[in-house]
Amino acid sequence: MRNKYLRIILLLLSLIITGELTAQNRFPKPEFESGYVQPSPTTPEPRAFAMEYFDVFILIAVLLLISYFIFRKRSRRGILWTSVFSLIYFGFYRNGCICSIGAIQNVTLTLADPNYGMSVVALLFFILPLVFALYTGRTFCAGACPLGAIQDLVVHKPIKLPVALQRGLGMIPYLYLGLAVLYAATGTDFIICRYDPFVGIFRMDAPFTMIVLGIGFLLVGIFVARPYCRFFCPYGVLLNWMSSFSRWHLTITPSECVSCKLCENSCPFDAIDIPDHSIQKKDVSKNVKRFLIFTLLIPIWMALGAWVGHQSHVFLSKGNSQVYLAELLISHPELKSDIDNLDIQAFLASGKSMDVLVEEASLIRNKFRIGSWILGAFIGLVFGIKLLKQFVYRKKEDYEPNKGECLSCGRCMDYCPVES
Amino acid sequence: MDHAVCLRLRNKGDMKKKSNFNRREFIQNGMRLTLLVAVGGVSGLSVIKATGKGDVWQIDPYKCTQCGRCATECVMTPSAVKCIHAYDVCGYCDLCGGYLKPGSNARSTAAENQLCPTAAITRKFIEEPYFEYVIDEDLCIGCAKCVKGCDSFGNSSLHLQIRHDLCLNCNQCSIARVCPGDAISRVPADQPYMIKGQYNPQE
Amino acid sequence: MEKKNNIELLSQLALVVGGISIFIAVLLLLNYWNISRYDPLDSQALVALVERLSDEPDNDALKLEIRNLDLLARKAYFTSQWQVKTGGFLLLFASIFFVLVLKILYDMKKKIELPEVEEEKGMIDRILSQRWIGAIGILLVIGALLASFASNDYLEKYVAGSSEDGQTKIDESIEVIEITSSESLSDNQGLATGLAEVDSSVAEQNTNVDVANDPSLEGLASETKASIDASNTSNINYPDLNEIKKHHNGFRGPLSQGISFHKNIPIDWDGAGGKNILWKTEVPRAGKSSPVIWANHLFVSGADAQSRWVYCYDRNDGKLLWEHEAKDIEGSPASAPKTTPDTGLAAPTLATDGERVYAIFGTGDILALDMSGTRLWAKNLGVPDNHYGHSSSLLCWEGRLVVQYDTNRSGRLLALDLQNGNPIWDVPRNHKISWASPVLAEIGGKYQIITSADPLVIAHDFESGKELWSVECMMGEVGPSVAFSEGLVYASNEYARMVAIKPGAGSADIVWEYDEYLSEASSPVAVEGLIFLGTSYGVFACFDAKTGEMQWEFEGNSGFYGSPIAVDGKIYVMDMSGTTYIFEISRELKLIGEPALGEKSVVTPAFAEGKIYLRGTKYLYCIGA
Repeated sequence: MRNKYLRIILLLLSLIITGELTAQNRFPKPEFESGYVQPSPTTPEPRAFAMEYFDVFILIAVLLLISYFIFRKRSRRGILWTSVFSLIYFGFYRNGCICSIGAIQNVTLTLADPNYGMSVVALLFFILPLVFALYTGRTFCAGACPLGAIQDLVVHKPIKLPVALQRGLGMIPYLYLGLAVLYAATGTDFIICRYDPFVGIFRMDAPFTMIVLGIGFLLVGIFVARPYCRFFCPYGVLLNWMSSFSRWHLTITPSECVSCKLCENSCPFDAIDIPDHSIQKKDVSKNVKRFLIFTLLIPIWMALGAWVGHQSHVFLSKGNSQVYLAELLISHPELKSDIDNLDIQAFLASGKSMDVLVEEASLIRNKFRIGSWILGAFIGLVFGIKLLKQFVYRKKEDYEPNKGECLSCGRCMDYCPVES
Repeated sequence: MDHAVCLRLRNKGDMKKKSNFNRREFIQNGMRLTLLVAVGGVSGLSVIKATGKGDVWQIDPYKCTQCGRCATECVMTPSAVKCIHAYDVCGYCDLCGGYLKPGSNARSTAAENQLCPTAAITRKFIEEPYFEYVIDEDLCIGCAKCVKGCDSFGNSSLHLQIRHDLCLNCNQCSIARVCPGDAISRVPADQPYMIKGQYNPQE
Repeated sequence: MEKKNNIELLSQLALVVGGISIFIAVLLLLNYWNISRYDPLDSQALVALVERLSDEPDNDALKLEIRNLDLLARKAYFTSQWQVKTGGFLLLFASIFFVLVLKILYDMKKKIELPEVEEEKGMIDRILSQRWIGAIGILLVIGALLASFASNDYLEKYVAGSSEDGQTKIDESIEVIEITSSESLSDNQGLATGLAEVDSSVAEQNTNVDVANDPSLEGLASETKASIDASNTSNINYPDLNEIKKHHNGFRGPLSQGISFHKNIPIDWDGAGGKNILWKTEVPRAGKSSPVIWANHLFVSGADAQSRWVYCYDRNDGKLLWEHEAKDIEGSPASAPKTTPDTGLAAPTLATDGERVYAIFGTGDILALDMSGTRLWAKNLGVPDNHYGHSSSLLCWEGRLVVQYDTNRSGRLLALDLQNGNPIWDVPRNHKISWASPVLAEIGGKYQIITSADPLVIAHDFESGKELWSVECMMGEVGPSVAFSEGLVYASNEYARMVAIKPGAGSADIVWEYDEYLSEASSPVAVEGLIFLGTSYGVFACFDAKTGEMQWEFEGNSGFYGSPIAVDGKIYVMDMSGTTYIFEISRELKLIGEPALGEKSVVTPAFAEGKIYLRGTKYLYCIGA
């Protein structure tokens, strides 16, 4: 208390120097006379970054191993155990959080936000499975993806879904991908990570809804094989494109297909193209005309989609917290006095003016406007191509996996009686 | 359709099939090349901005509003956010707003006077009239009650930080999504902490 | 045969493991349900007990109970965490085992069968697929259109610059009043000057919400007219200083200077034992406002999170004459702002002029009632952003109500017309928030309003609100109001200093300063060449008013939050434990008595002839010999 003046002067000086720290030095730090040594706060380091590169190494190793099991050993067992390893490593050990699926959003945000740069490791996790898919098919889905692995393990009594239903539901991943890109590009949210059903199981800790979602998917997965992979996974869309044009791909038979039909029921994912002889020549010629019509219709679908997307941008942008807050304050100004609304109170305390908030929210909404019509056009394109595909008929005699849909799990290989 | 017919059909189509096959292969190769270029383009654009060091999530203590969501919104239970004590900023007060309940019965360590719901702050006498306060992070749940107390009545030396030995470094921090003060952001992994007195908010 | 046995065994094993998994899952669910229903760390029972403890600070049994409950709560919390963690792992391992058993079982059962011959229906499938894709596409379009139709684009509707939308609304409504009232007035009356004053004050101010939204504008006009008529006549009738001295009409007595002019004040009582307690009554709602007295009426305020009340007691027998709830006030927040428990929503002391009583609450509501509890006017000054709670008391003098309205975002000093609450003047205060109250001082024959805040002690002209002088000398969160005696102003604050200020024309000089014993919430009092001051850590000290030299110091049982009052040649001051210390006004320490109230208190005493009125946490006491 004695040298209070000195302290006040010091305090005033510090106030002048560090304008913002006013509140900090309300009580000056004492000068201890008992030789007290002040401890300093501990700062445990994050996981070493070298370890992240080790993850990349593991990913490459797993992808190579799967390719080896598919092409050289033709061993379903090998693939299965590799996937169990991936489940343990990328799932339970890495808590599902270095993830190729989620990396879509990081790539998007990197391209869209000038202030954000993703880590090289996440980028590698994004690229490597795609490049592998271009050459070897969806080996990532077969055994490197922990989300796929955990679902693959619970497939017990797969039922055959009607083809039409499968193709209809096949639209969902495209929509999910589009929305994920839209929300990531506007810096709103990473919806893939937020609604990842299995990450809660990997962490052994999650909000209740997440656990319920995860267990629900697993229970459904007993009967409908790998439901997330087939009907939701946005990364699966990209892998599907890559794999459709892959250089090599898993084959059911090691040499010549004898059309014994044994493998017909082997695929729980209904990804085997079964030769169909019911389509007659006259059908095909009729189809050519339809094909042309539906090709010409694609721009119309896209325009319609773009228009619908444009219409939707208002409600899509409500998912953004800033837009939401601005709209809430405009529509319910009385909430300003609601002291339990933490977001509004924090905004009021920040001293930011309403005009600035609305301006920022309008900028974000503008991004949504552009993004939404692109999204709409994209969905329109997908819709058109999906319809068009129904008129593409390729005559074939062999039982082959559908290169796009096949998850390269290798189950069918065990069913083939042909010796190499 | 029996087996014999099947085989006959196959022989018949062989010639046509071959030319078909070449064309298909050409298309396939072309598409593969296109996709490869696309992936390469996207990754090329990204790699320019990519960082080799990676980043982690951290709380800016000057933006924190002590709303209490860190305790409830983290994917970890208890939260990876803990209160840390910036000793450099502390006034070592006897009447500590972060330790004692407002209007507490006495300045003692008894349960009825402690603000912390899990008794994670320990108080040690140093010399008249100063006390040292230490956080037991095993007990801390990151509720920010003490932070609020210290901020209102003291130097605000108690503040929240994400502990990187606990944080899973999720791709999208679930607390950041709902943080009313936008206090949580990605920071370079080689400077993973923002501890008061050791970091300058103006920077 | 053996294979069959194995299959049998495995299916039973699967059944058992599956059962165990489900059992664990159910346990976890129960645990979740239990925790989500009752969070042990957020125990209401514990909060209630701690609240009770603040009323009974020495109840050791209660303390023990709190400690036990606290321990129990923490144990419950950590045990449930352990349960969740362990249960989660058990469930995981059980499920892995279950999956493994099922896998082996199905592998054993599995035979590669020739698939059933199915009809080849490629074309049909394709057509169906198109329909499904088409259906999903249509569903998407309809869903998106419906959602976009249902959602409002509020951003579009926002008009830039209308950020303070509350403000604009008020401004608009004020215009309406102006026209109506001025027309009707100028037609009937020729009160050019009076009118101009009202108009300008209305136009300048933005607080006339309640009047503005009155449904009948005609009635309003006549009301305004009537009130101006009334103010014209009653302006002559406000009580003068001599009249005020007969009462205790505001915080710290007449003019808020901490001096009371009553005699024969008792010096000995015992609140718990009942000695010299004339009456004692429980105030229905808690509040830190001190009692104010006019004739036989005694007023206090009380509040909880739900409601704010003004109470009027008969000061002779302690009977509650009336109570009035401060509700239905335009602009009043739906839920009260957060305040700290040691401030609350009823911290500011009321003021009265013998015809009306005025109250302000932590919600920003301010209202005037007549002596029978009928509301005359009420308004909201804007919800204060105040991290402790608004605590500056009202000051009533010469037909005006002085309001110091400091918030974290802005500060104002207002003089309101007692008749209708319209501002006569309103000046901004461009310094930090303060919890002190305004004090009136007659300097050079004119009255000045003196307030203290970080960093200024500042004086405003009572008539015009004009700033007369200011001295930069305070810092921190200023709680004590200033003292005034014989031309000198004394201001003090903990962690800053105490200063004596000699006001001059347009400027003021610091005569002396002192920085050892300083008050935090309790205001100093200056009387007979001495200054008395109580600290929050229990020291009460006396200083020479001319030099600042300490005359004596005294250590009380507990800290001083209530302010000392000079009355009857003595100083009365109550510490937080409820003990009143009575000192002689003298340069020597002379403790006349230390009677206890038997209850905690942070308020300042009020006096009437032969009596002292004290407010504890719960009760209101009248003490007389």
